[in-house]
Amino acid sequence: MNEKYLSITEINQMIKMMFDNAPFLKKVYLKGEISNFKHHTSGHLYLTLKDDDSKISAIMFRSAAESLSFVPEDGMNVLVTGRISVYPNGGNYQIYIDKMEQDGLGNLYIEFEKLKQKLQKEGLFDPKYKKEIPKYPMKIGIVTAPTGAAIKDIISTIRRRFPICKTLLFPALVQGVSAKDDIAKKIRMAQDYDLDLLIVGRGGGSIEDLWAFNEEVVARAIFDSKIPVISAVGHEVDVTIADFVADKRAPTPTGAAEMAVPTIQEVKTILKTKELEISKLLERKLSESANTLKKLSSSYVLKNPLVLYETKIQKLDSIHENLRKSIDLFLENKKKSLEHLKSSYILQNPSSLYEKKIENFETLKILLHKNFESILVKKEHDLQFTIQTLKLVNPLSILEKGYSFVKKDGQFVTDSSKINVKDELEITFFKGNAKVEVKEIN
Amino acid sequence: MKEKTFESALKDLEVMIKDLESGTIPLEDAITKYTDAMNLVKFCQEKLDHATKQVSKILGENGEIKDFQTTDEEV
Repeated sequence: MNEKYLSITEINQMIKMMFDNAPFLKKVYLKGEISNFKHHTSGHLYLTLKDDDSKISAIMFRSAAESLSFVPEDGMNVLVTGRISVYPNGGNYQIYIDKMEQDGLGNLYIEFEKLKQKLQKEGLFDPKYKKEIPKYPMKIGIVTAPTGAAIKDIISTIRRRFPICKTLLFPALVQGVSAKDDIAKKIRMAQDYDLDLLIVGRGGGSIEDLWAFNEEVVARAIFDSKIPVISAVGHEVDVTIADFVADKRAPTPTGAAEMAVPTIQEVKTILKTKELEISKLLERKLSESANTLKKLSSSYVLKNPLVLYETKIQKLDSIHENLRKSIDLFLENKKKSLEHLKSSYILQNPSSLYEKKIENFETLKILLHKNFESILVKKEHDLQFTIQTLKLVNPLSILEKGYSFVKKDGQFVTDSSKINVKDELEITFFKGNAKVEVKEIN
Repeated sequence: MKEKTFESALKDLEVMIKDLESGTIPLEDAITKYTDAMNLVKFCQEKLDHATKQVSKILGENGEIKDFQTTDEEV
């Protein structure tokens, strides 16, 4: 037997050389799903890449792994670059990964960021547009899939906490290509149902499953909603554009229901507290009023009505005193004046009064005489003037100018309608008069 | 006029309590407010107590509203 037996190490080394010498294995591009992911304490990553039918072992050394922009985990679809070689100790080939990125996510992420920035610029996330979530909604609309955990969680949570609240489901497709338009349509439909609040969301899933909630049509439908919107998409870690636009973001559908409604016990307690508070406040008001009344009625003045008079009496006394004093003073002054008069020159020399009067009388006599004469002259003059004036207005002086007057039966005639043909009239001239008979009247 | 909502009733209560707390309102007004407030409390209480469990509804294909039961829910 001259067959040459190789050791395991030798054969594995030979195979490794074969691999290493194959140019197309020096750099390969693979896409697949991660499984059996292990992050070794050394910092190296061990994993298996697989598709539906096959798998390949993979290793990513710490130096390469340090530049990863995400944390790999089982089930993730990835794109990797690396070389294929053999691990001689294990006798298996594997890919030594240089670079790894998430498959498809890159594009989605860029889209997400672009839309987010655009809507942010437009102000769709602005807190000033956030509507207040009502504390006690009585009718809540839910836009989500009619089957699955989300709707179940929401309805059961609302029923448990606040059973008096009505719920109306707007069934919507929540994944797939038609989802975005369907969700947007249902949000817009919900506007017509007199709702206090709208919950929009779905249960957990992959980022692609949730993608409809990152679409612009959905964002705009939420923004346009007149009803306050709580978004509830996936799990706590999933943040979508819908969450930014919604008036409030809930981590999960159950969380949304908890945010939406209080528990009925809570409300009953609040109500009870308010009832007590109101009663207490009224009691306080009543006792305050009673106290005030008591205080007032026990006041010094009411208890001692005499004090009201005391001051008045005193005041009266002082006024009285003042009055007496001023009368005394008045009398005193009068007395003084009298004394003064008594001692005046005239009273002492009464004859001086006559002397003066007689003198005045003489002067007046002369003056009167003079005045009387001048008055007589003036009166004479006035009389002459009056006679002249009288002459001017005398009716006879008018007749003198050629006017005549007519009388019938002793009455002056001023109107031809008062006389008749054949009437006898008397005409008076300046000098003499005549009797005439009427011939004709015009 | 639209029926008073639970929410607005509670809001009104808040306002009344604030007014009563201020202590500046006349006694007559306080008593009126108290009566009104108690009526509101009664209104809310009745809403809470007398309302039966609401059945969830679903908007059907043709816009009609039907009762809605989620799976594994007691009928």
